[in-house]
Amino acid sequence: MGCGNDERQARDLSRVVVIGLASCFGCQLQITNVEEHLTDVLGQIDLRYWQLASSEPMPEEFDVAVIEGAVTTEESEATVRKLRERAKCVIALGACAATAGIPGIASRNFFKRPSQVYKDVPAACGSMVVPRPVGAVIDVDYTVRCCPIDTMDFIDVLQRALYGSNKFDRTGTMCGQCKRNGTDCFFDQGQLCLGLVTVAGCGAKCVNLGRACNGCRGLSPDANLEAARAACERAGVDPDDFDEALALFNQVERVQSARE
Amino acid sequence: MTRTAISVDHIARVEGHGNVHLSIKDGAVEACEMNVVEPARLFESMVVGRKFADVPYIASRVCGICSASHVITDILAIERIFGVEVTDRTRALRELLVYGSYLQNHASHLFVFAAPDFLDMASVFPLAMSNPELFDQALGLKSLGNQLCNLVGGRSIHPITAVVGGFTHEPSRDEYLAMADKLDAEREFARAVVDLFNGFAVPDIATQGDMMAMVAEGRYPVADSRWARFLDAGVTFDADRACEQVEEYEVSHSAALFARCRQTGKTYFTGALARINASWSALSQEAKVAAAKAGLRPPERNPFLNNVAQAVEVLDALGRCADLCRKLAEPDGPFEGGSAPVPFEVRAGVGTGFTEAPRGTVFHQLELDDAGRVVHATIMTPTAQNCANLEADMRELAEKFIADGAETPEVRAEVEKLVRAYDPCFSCSVH
Repeated sequence: MGCGNDERQARDLSRVVVIGLASCFGCQLQITNVEEHLTDVLGQIDLRYWQLASSEPMPEEFDVAVIEGAVTTEESEATVRKLRERAKCVIALGACAATAGIPGIASRNFFKRPSQVYKDVPAACGSMVVPRPVGAVIDVDYTVRCCPIDTMDFIDVLQRALYGSNKFDRTGTMCGQCKRNGTDCFFDQGQLCLGLVTVAGCGAKCVNLGRACNGCRGLSPDANLEAARAACERAGVDPDDFDEALALFNQVERVQSARE
Repeated sequence: MTRTAISVDHIARVEGHGNVHLSIKDGAVEACEMNVVEPARLFESMVVGRKFADVPYIASRVCGICSASHVITDILAIERIFGVEVTDRTRALRELLVYGSYLQNHASHLFVFAAPDFLDMASVFPLAMSNPELFDQALGLKSLGNQLCNLVGGRSIHPITAVVGGFTHEPSRDEYLAMADKLDAEREFARAVVDLFNGFAVPDIATQGDMMAMVAEGRYPVADSRWARFLDAGVTFDADRACEQVEEYEVSHSAALFARCRQTGKTYFTGALARINASWSALSQEAKVAAAKAGLRPPERNPFLNNVAQAVEVLDALGRCADLCRKLAEPDGPFEGGSAPVPFEVRAGVGTGFTEAPRGTVFHQLELDDAGRVVHATIMTPTAQNCANLEADMRELAEKFIADGAETPEVRAEVEKLVRAYDPCFSCSVH
């Protein structure tokens, strides 16, 4: 789904809004980290609202909504539904919006958690709901993956949203990337790595710097979790550790039930 | 009787979501609330039961821009519990990483968030047209902070390479030297930034609260001292006692806990201005001269001057980081040896990590069990510590402007400016 190219040509530029939900705001910062290309990027859009960077108020009409963060309150749920009604195109920005990311860790036993942090949960917290990705509440047209996003990935997705594209999302796992990079495999040293089931596309950045993949790009559609657990056992890694590690960025049950 | 309400929903050009509510009756401020409405992410609950190695990685996500500080603070807490002694080289790299986030944060805050207030712009973007040279230089400084974090941490935010015991990757000698040259080249602009922010007129107010900063004899510490000080109260304490010395309390209008000094009951400010007040004599000569020229000398109590204090810190950090990079590049320099993670044994215990994040003091207290899994966690971020003091300063500022006969839009604008001068991170404050 694109952003209505015919209509867009009638006006000059797509009107873009950027909204943050439950997140660290890091992916929005990564947009500002375009630095030397910032004016080129901004020159292609009519940026109407971005609370992080501008005091212009939220407009009634816009074309593209960029949403960062996980949905964790009824208020956020209503916000994203309203954005979906008005926007021609919705971009989920970063792991929190794509997979519920780190806020998603709280999903298990969620309603017991607020009282572990607060004596009396402040009214300002809003009406909390179990953390979920934006795509679990509304249809999302494009997703920029990773925690944090890669700035250039954002530009690529934005271009696709603005100008249309027949490019398919990658589906393969990270392991193929490491083969191409020629990096050593953590499993060879009996250590867990989630590249086995995580969708490729970041260049295996963490592995290149000596750290195992944490799965922040989300599960690959090609991932075979049963086979991955068996592979862990063969390498001397406890499959329970695999499941625990995977829950860092992925709500596995949600992904699986969505696929069924 | 006249009653006026001033409300700002979702204050712009700050990280996270905060509202301001002021109620003015017959020229007096009746109510003043810093209403933090950020969704709770429940980090302190989320990390319970998880293995120690995952915890810095999770804690990093408390805040995008202070991610380096949260990672290092958490690692320090874990190392305190396990009794890990890291190499001097690792300590130097950690300092460099934290300073990288200072450059990122201060450049973002000064230009993207704060400067539009004084240039009469809604955002920094029009500056690209009106003063392209300044716009490019500002983004260049911000970019340099990102490059430094990239170099040491492997990524501009949420560093990859910093782990318990050391680093999983180190830059090459040539990369250090090239970075040192870039840092030096930026100093001229940094001096101009101090002058620029000194030139912006700000209201003359003085916070009634205390101030808190990390301290160390003869140094300007950011990541390698265990001592924190309430500057007015003169209370200096080890980070392990942070939860006793700082009283966190709940208010219904904020999802962030508020904080005050337990001994005196006073709210306090933490951040660049507090650090400069605490460690002025350890600033570089160049930074001291620039600060003095800008009229910033301790004791300085005007929270608006936090902007100037950040500019001074940028200048100071550039020199410090260039020096660190050169020393790290020397084969037989003071940081010889490695930064690869040192071996350690997992054991149960309680420990507190402490750093000066760009926005102020941050404490992570962790309790781990025998298997190294988290039993309990307390995280105190700079903005959570600042909120109560900010609220008090907002009231003082509003009262001053109302007494001077200011109209509502002006009071509102000045209050927003004050909020931004604090450089709050509301997403961080509700962790």
